[in-house]
Amino acid sequence: MFRSAWGVQFSGARASKARAAAVPARGDSDAVLVAAGLVKRYDGIAALAGFDLTVQAGEIAGLVGHNGAGKTTFVEVVTGLVRADAGRVLVAGEDALHNSRRARRLIGVAPQEQALYLSATVRDNMRLFGALAGLSTRALHDAIEDVAAELLLTDALEQRAGLLSGGQRRRAQAATAMIGAPRLLLLDEPTAGADPETRAALLAAVRRRAAAGAAIVYTTHYLPELTDLGATLAVARGGKVIARGTQDSLIGGLPSELRLRFDQRAVPSSLPTVMTGRAEAVDGEVRILSADPPGDLAAIFACGCAPVSVDVRRPGIDELYRAIAAEARDAA
Amino acid sequence: MQRDRAVRPTAARTAALVRHNVMLMLREPGPMASRLILPLAFLLLLHPLYEQAQPGSRGIVQAVVATIVTFSLLAMSIAGGSFLTERIWHTWQRLRSSAATPAELLIGKLTPVLAVLGLQQVAVIAFAAALLGLPVAGLPLLAVAVAAWTLALAGMGAALGLLARSFSSLSASYDIGGMILSSLGGALVPLTALPEWVRQVAPISPGYWAVSALESALRGAAGRTFLASAVLLAFAAGAGLAAAIRASRTWGRSASL
Repeated sequence: MFRSAWGVQFSGARASKARAAAVPARGDSDAVLVAAGLVKRYDGIAALAGFDLTVQAGEIAGLVGHNGAGKTTFVEVVTGLVRADAGRVLVAGEDALHNSRRARRLIGVAPQEQALYLSATVRDNMRLFGALAGLSTRALHDAIEDVAAELLLTDALEQRAGLLSGGQRRRAQAATAMIGAPRLLLLDEPTAGADPETRAALLAAVRRRAAAGAAIVYTTHYLPELTDLGATLAVARGGKVIARGTQDSLIGGLPSELRLRFDQRAVPSSLPTVMTGRAEAVDGEVRILSADPPGDLAAIFACGCAPVSVDVRRPGIDELYRAIAAEARDAA
Repeated sequence: MQRDRAVRPTAARTAALVRHNVMLMLREPGPMASRLILPLAFLLLLHPLYEQAQPGSRGIVQAVVATIVTFSLLAMSIAGGSFLTERIWHTWQRLRSSAATPAELLIGKLTPVLAVLGLQQVAVIAFAAALLGLPVAGLPLLAVAVAAWTLALAGMGAALGLLARSFSSLSASYDIGGMILSSLGGALVPLTALPEWVRQVAPISPGYWAVSALESALRGAAGRTFLASAVLLAFAAGAGLAAAIRASRTWGRSASL
């Protein structure tokens, strides 16, 4: 029922139209990252199966997808850690597959796994990656102070990375990626397991990088972060991007879910008939898919149903996956 | 934020890497200190035994060469440990995604390692020459032998560090392998005192060529020194190639570390 309901709400031509509404149209000359038709197989299993992604200067592209969707492999291909079997990647015009070194000069990367010199201080870590990014000694000193302040690391600069808290390590890792002011910033789940303070600092720093003109690929499982960032979405599944566009174009068309609790556990018989087909009782609450939550709530109260609690759930990435899957089934 | 987008020459990146690796080594000085001090203690305690067993200067030469080869094989852990640490910390992959080339990464990593390995040998030779009466026929020849053996050690250590799956396996390979290679090479006990089959297989051990190069250099035998040093350089090249190939490949998330 759930799936079919999604299919009714977000299917066929409407979905296609929404997904076709790509990122704000700009000239190709603004594209910092152009990845097209990337294929990577491991022992016959496709980690990337025709992965396409273009990110403009100043754009934050939220790359989302379940584990195994190809997000991290994509980052590894762009940074030259993994050789693609086919496809092409351009970073600010540089061919990242055939001249990886030139492209890597333009990239800052914070990998998913923690990658810090634990016996070295935060300053030492930042100094190394800043120097490798091409900063001169003077510029390096200033950049360390600036980025550390931005990521709330000033007081931790002289601490060994191994003694930092989890949140500080996340910020230190991001700092080593950001210190060279790269034109392309690849952040692979930078806030995984992070505390609210770390998350806020990181998101603010990412926004500033985008405002300064960097293109940012931000992989995450937390959709609210991408809303905070005003990011466009690229939904990966099965090694390819299956949906690309603004959040409004992709998720705006999906219904919200009303979760209502009544004194009785069953769906009230007085519920407006138009809703009964969309309602189901789950765990003592009534769940109703709604494209118009305020209107539906008004109708519910108007008919005399008096829920003891109301929870409106906005659609998220899981709902988007379901909608896309339902659409694929419909198309088939 | 200030920016300097000018591309730094490779020398600047290499210097940054060398500086960083020296700093890392100095932050954890224990392994380095033990590798520098233990050979001197060993030599001081055991040289009378070697001198009693062999007449003239042959005893002290054997003691010095045995100490150098045995402890320098164990000191490969400095090279291997530094690479394995990078892998465990995931910083090697992070470095590979930076602007640094593989050559810059290896040079940056190996330069301080070479310095420590070379220093260990020089310290033993200087200690023995100054205090124990070690005769040194020609310093240039000795420098050639030490340099060749140091390069071979660094190459083999790097290869092991890049191939090992854990610190325990790395430690086992140094402890067991080091002892076998040094014994097989005739470092601890002269080959003439070992069984025939050991003498037959000894040349497959880099320890054998290290003993040969160092002994020949101390005696002033140029031809034998150059030959043995050339073989050691071949070991260095082979191990270095294996390390470079392994270093240029990703371990992936499935790596069992």
